[in-house]
Amino acid sequence: MAAATSMAAALAASLPAPSSAPAPAAPTYEAIPASMSKVIDLEGEIPLNSVQLDGLVVSKIIKHSRDAQGSTTHGLVLGIDLDGTLEVSNSFPMPNHSPDDDDKSAKGITRYQASMLRSLKDVQADDSIVGFYQAMTLGSFFNQTLIETQAIHQEKLRHGGVVIVHDMSQTARGNASFRAFRLTRAFLDALKRNNFSATSLIDHRLTFSSILEELPVKIRTNALLSSFLGTLTEPSAPSVAGGHPSAASSSAALPPSFSTLNLGTASVARNLEHIIEAVDAYKTEEGNLAYLHRQIAREKQKADAYVNKRKEENAARVAQGLAPLPEENVNRLFKIPPEPSRLESMLLLGRIDAYSKALAETSSTGLVKMYAAKTNSGV
Amino acid sequence: MPLAAESSAVYIQNTAPGFISTPGRAPTSVTVHPVALFSILDHYLRRTESQERVIGTLLGKRSDNGEVEVRSSFAVLHSETEEQVAVDMDYLKTMYDLHHKVNPKEVIVGWYSTGSNLNTYSALIHNFYSQEAAPHQVVHLAVNTGIVEGEKAGVKAYVGSPVGVYPKPENCVFAPIPCELRFHDAERSGLDLLTTTSVALNSTTPHPVTDLEVLEQSLKSVAEMLDRVLSYVQSVLAGEVKGDAAVGRYLMDRLGASTEDLEKGGFNSSLQVRNHEARMISSVAHLYSLQDTLMVSYLASLVRSQAEVSARLALVTST
Repeated sequence: MAAATSMAAALAASLPAPSSAPAPAAPTYEAIPASMSKVIDLEGEIPLNSVQLDGLVVSKIIKHSRDAQGSTTHGLVLGIDLDGTLEVSNSFPMPNHSPDDDDKSAKGITRYQASMLRSLKDVQADDSIVGFYQAMTLGSFFNQTLIETQAIHQEKLRHGGVVIVHDMSQTARGNASFRAFRLTRAFLDALKRNNFSATSLIDHRLTFSSILEELPVKIRTNALLSSFLGTLTEPSAPSVAGGHPSAASSSAALPPSFSTLNLGTASVARNLEHIIEAVDAYKTEEGNLAYLHRQIAREKQKADAYVNKRKEENAARVAQGLAPLPEENVNRLFKIPPEPSRLESMLLLGRIDAYSKALAETSSTGLVKMYAAKTNSGV
Repeated sequence: MPLAAESSAVYIQNTAPGFISTPGRAPTSVTVHPVALFSILDHYLRRTESQERVIGTLLGKRSDNGEVEVRSSFAVLHSETEEQVAVDMDYLKTMYDLHHKVNPKEVIVGWYSTGSNLNTYSALIHNFYSQEAAPHQVVHLAVNTGIVEGEKAGVKAYVGSPVGVYPKPENCVFAPIPCELRFHDAERSGLDLLTTTSVALNSTTPHPVTDLEVLEQSLKSVAEMLDRVLSYVQSVLAGEVKGDAAVGRYLMDRLGASTEDLEKGGFNSSLQVRNHEARMISSVAHLYSLQDTLMVSYLASLVRSQAEVSARLALVTST
C-alpha cells in the first residue's frame, strides 16, 4: 500500500510540472515591428493560386457536417501558405451560436477560438487561421452570412483567407466534394461601399457568377496516413477455403465500395423542391424590388412636377416684374427612398443556378447508369 | 471491419466481482471512427524529437450493450522519463471543455497511445483516466503506426483490470477486446477520396472531380474485375489452372440469380414467353424513366439559362 500511495503521490506531484515550468521558447514570439513585417514576410507577396487540403481536414469536415446536420455547420481551417499554395493542415469546428444573446455568445466564441488555438499550438499543430469551412447541400452555399464572414476574413487574414465548402449531398452520393472560394475584387469593392444598386452592379460587372472566384483544390495525405490507409485497404490473408459464400465479406478493413453505381435517384425530388423554393423566393424578392422601384419613380415624378411648377411660377413672376421665389431644396420636401440593394436577389439567382447545376449533374450520371443497367438486363 | 491482424488472443470478459463498481456494463468492444484514427496519426507526426510515443484522449459514446464508440480524439501533453510520468491535467480539462462545447454528446471514453508497448506507465495513465471517467470504465487504444520494421500497422483495444491482492495503480492487466473501424455510409466517399489520394503520385490529387468521372472510375474497376473473373474461369475450363471449389461457390452465389432465368427460359418455352413479357415490361419502365431523366436534365439546363439571362438583364435594363 505504501508503495502505491508514494507512486500516486509522485504522479500527482509531477502533474502540474509542465504547465508551471517557464517555457524557454516564449520570447521568440515577439511581435515583428510593423515597419519590418513587409520585409520579413516573403510569402505574403506571392499570390495564392491553389489550396491543398490534408486528409485529416477532409475527414474532420465530413464528420462535423454529418454530426451537425440541420443546423449550419461551420468551423475554422488552420494552415500555412507556401509558394502560392495554401496548405490546410488542421481544422476545428465552431460552436453554433444562437442569434438571441449575441453579445455574450460572440465573446464566448472569441474566447473559445483563442483557447483552442493556444491548445493546438501546445501540441505543435499549426495555429494560424487561413479561412473557414461551411457545409452545404446540393451545391448551394450562397448566403449573406457566408459572404459577410468571408469579407471580414479577407480584410484580416493574410492573402484574404479562403472559404472551403463541402457538399454533403454529393458526398452521400459517393463523390466527396470540396471546393475553395474567395470573394472577387469587384464584389469586395462593391461590398465596401455597401452599394448594390443597379448602377453599381453595372460598374462592377457583377452577376452571381462573379461574386466568388474558385481556387483549385488538391487533396493530400501525408506519408504516415498513406501507409496506414494502404494497410487498411489491403485484404488480409485469403481465408476463402471452406468458407461459406454467404459469409463472403472481404477481410480488409476498408473493402472497395461501389456506392456510386446505385441507381437511386431519391435526391432528384428534393432537388426539384429546392429549385422551386428558390425560384419562389426569387420571385418575391423581384416583386419587392419592383415595388420599391415604382415608389422611387412616383416620388421622383412628384419632385419633378414640383420643380417644374415652381419654375413656371417663377417665370410668370419674372414676366410680371416680381422677384422670383427661392428654389427650395427638393430633396428635403420629397423623401426619395434609396435605391434598393440587389444583393439578395443576386444571391438567390446564384442559389437557383447551383441547384440546377446539381440537378443536371445527377441526371447526367443517371442517364449513364440507366443505359448500363439496360445493357445488363437485356442479355 | 477488423483493424488489426487476427490474433490468437481470447477476448476475456473482465468481470471482477467486488472490485469495480460499474453501472452498466464493462466495455466489450470498441469501434473507431476514422477521424479519431487520423488525428492520432497526425499527432504522432507532430511529436517532438524527445518523445517516443504520444498519448491523448478519446471521446465518444458508450452504449448499453457494452460497446464503446470512439468518435474523435485530441492530443494531450505528457512527459515520460526514467523516474516518472506526467500528464498535463489542465490541458486535458481545457481541451475537453472546448470539445464539449461543440459536441456535448461526446464524453471521455478512454485514451490512446502510439506504439504497442504496455508498461507500468501505461497502467498509471490508465488509472488516471479511470478516475477522470469514473464511474465508467475506460478503454485504451494502442495504435501501431507501422514505422517499426517488422511490425504491422494496426489498432488494438484494451480494458484494464486491477491485479494482485491489493490493487495498485501501477499494476494492471490489459485485457484485449475486439476493435473495429466504423463510420457512416455517407462518409464513405471521403475515405475513398483519401485512399485514391494515398496511392496517387506525390500523394496529392486534383479536386474537385465531377460525378461522371467518379462513375467512370467505378465502371472501369467493375469491368476490370469481370475481366479478371472471366479469364480465371476460362483458364479453369481450358484446364490450365485447377479450379478452386470455394471460388466457384462464390461465383455461383453472386451470378446464380441472373443466370437462373436464362436456363429456365431455354428449357421451357412457356416460361420463355413469360420471360419475354417481363423483359418487355422492364424495357417500357426503362423507357419511362429515361424520359423522366431526360426531362429533368432539360429542365435543369432551362433553369440555369434563365437564371443566367436574368442576371445579365439586370445589368442592362437601367442603362
